[in-house]
Amino acid sequence: MKVLIIEDERGMALEMEDFLLKAGYLCDLAFTARQARQQMEQGPYDFILLDLGLPDMDGLMVLEEAKKICREASYIILTARGKLEDRIKGLDLGADDYLPKPFSLLELQSRMQAISRRKSGLKDNLVLLGDFTINLSNRTALYGNTDVGLSKKEFDLLSYLLLNKNRPLTRMQLSEHIWGGLSDDDYDSNYIDVHIKNIRKKMTAYAPADWLQTIRGIGYKINL
Amino acid sequence: MKLLTKITLTSTLSKLATVVLFIALLPFLINRVAFQSTNNLLKLQARKVMSNIKNNGIDYYLQGDSTYGSYTLLKDEYISLEKAKHIYTADTIQTAPRIIEGDTVQYRILNQAFEYNNHLYELEIGRSITSISQYNGPLQKIAFYVLGMLIMLTLLIELSLTRILLKPLQTIIQTKLINPVFPFKDAPAPIHTTTDDFQHLDATLISLMTRIKEDFDRERAFTSNASHELMTPISILQTKMENLLLLNNLDEAALGKIAEMMKTLNRLKKIVHSLLLISRIENAQYAKQDCMQPQQMMAEITEELLHRMEQRNIQLSVALQPSVTIINVNHDLLFQLFYNLINNAIRYNKNNGTIHISDALHTNGSYTVFIKDTGIGIEAADIATLFNRFQKKHTTEEGYGLGLSIVKSIADYHAVSLHIDSVPGTGTTISATFLPIFITHAHLSG
Repeated sequence: MKVLIIEDERGMALEMEDFLLKAGYLCDLAFTARQARQQMEQGPYDFILLDLGLPDMDGLMVLEEAKKICREASYIILTARGKLEDRIKGLDLGADDYLPKPFSLLELQSRMQAISRRKSGLKDNLVLLGDFTINLSNRTALYGNTDVGLSKKEFDLLSYLLLNKNRPLTRMQLSEHIWGGLSDDDYDSNYIDVHIKNIRKKMTAYAPADWLQTIRGIGYKINL
Repeated sequence: MKLLTKITLTSTLSKLATVVLFIALLPFLINRVAFQSTNNLLKLQARKVMSNIKNNGIDYYLQGDSTYGSYTLLKDEYISLEKAKHIYTADTIQTAPRIIEGDTVQYRILNQAFEYNNHLYELEIGRSITSISQYNGPLQKIAFYVLGMLIMLTLLIELSLTRILLKPLQTIIQTKLINPVFPFKDAPAPIHTTTDDFQHLDATLISLMTRIKEDFDRERAFTSNASHELMTPISILQTKMENLLLLNNLDEAALGKIAEMMKTLNRLKKIVHSLLLISRIENAQYAKQDCMQPQQMMAEITEELLHRMEQRNIQLSVALQPSVTIINVNHDLLFQLFYNLINNAIRYNKNNGTIHISDALHTNGSYTVFIKDTGIGIEAADIATLFNRFQKKHTTEEGYGLGLSIVKSIADYHAVSLHIDSVPGTGTTISATFLPIFITHAHLSG
């Protein structure tokens, strides 16, 4: 998978590159709209991550232009401008997703995978997890043919952990994924523990779930 | 009360007072005028009598007798002349009753004493005043009618003139004070008037409005810029920390520190997010075109928060009317509003407590949602400052004191009035009331 990161903040661009390289993507960087155009003309990309706040051109115009050059790519808009109109315009112009800054790199990867899944058009997206099968398309966790019966939130949590398997996820990262859009008053989310407890309870009723590890003082991790 | 009404009322009342005073004083005035002219008449008569006596001698009247008296047919005038031993009445004019042929009549009487051929005489000339006072009634009546008509006439003229004079003020109030909905779209146009005061008022208002608009635009730009300028470094920090967390060779202590840093950064992020949210709401950057059903929304919210209630064994009961729909609102903002309120009801509840969500459709068409908890309650003195930013009473609790400020901004944006009813130690009921124009009810709309 080839990714073009168009982002004028070098610090940001380099971190994204670092993360995506580890996740197995090939990355190119562009810090201006001009550089981005050159990169796009040179080769096809699977993903184009576009920051709207570029110094030399309005991000939405870059998107319009990019859609003509790289027709096949999936576009994710990244912006700190936070204007609602931007989001709507961006999606109207054919962006596949929109992530307001600051976002979690894990969230970015999860959105990219969701887009890939959607575009691949696979009917059932099955992932093995210990003795369980996780169906990412109809959002169920199965033991054999039996639905374990996870709630919506519990499934969200489990699939997010699974997506980021073998990485420690903090409670904050998990709660941001689940309650991201809401400006509630809590910055300490021990509520995640309740969900994890429920997931463990429901799944161990069928088979051991020791792949789900608690990392003391940090959060949780799925080891596979 | 409107200025025009006040001016009209004042003018009417003052005119009425003047007229009433004038009519009340009228008899007195008429009497004064009448006495004045009667006095002159009597003096004239006396002079005539004196000149007759001088020219023709006293016997012209007395003809040998010691007294002389004469009165007119209707007894409205009389004259008497008599020899007197001594003067018992000085030269006076007075009002007194006299009995003439059995009739007691009020007279204006002139008494004059004089000496003739070494004898003292007294002359008395009287003129009846009953004829004068009988005019008082009709005169008062006429005055009342005439003045009443004059008042009506002047009032009509004044009213239309004042209306014309005050028209610029009316225009100022209409165009500058009532109609403009903040934020103002364009600079307001000056009104046409020759009245200096209004010109001054209008110019001042225009300059104020222009300044508010400028400040507002500047704040809007600041919000957008601040959002970008603050969010970008936060994003860089966050991504750096996330990458750090993924390094394989970290020990537990380092991981713990990174997790703590991320937690703190998240706190900063949420504060900036909340402040931007409040600022955007106050700048009216959210469309109000959605409709929402309270029952459905509460179900979604309580599902989100179910685990928090489970954790503290809090019982929830919801009794909402399914037929109510709230229209022309922003769905996401109201979701946030009720989410924060219910979240607070959980957070400040006691373990094993209850939360009851109910509603009421009032006869005037307004609609209230009640969220009642059995929590720690709020001291009456703290309720007023509850919605202030960064106001935290329970410092041991998690949170940064913006949740209720967000609630307040959203409520104000939707003209929702919030009411807090709390008994410390027993619980709190927060009610959110929507105006009738936002409510449709299935039974009414068919």
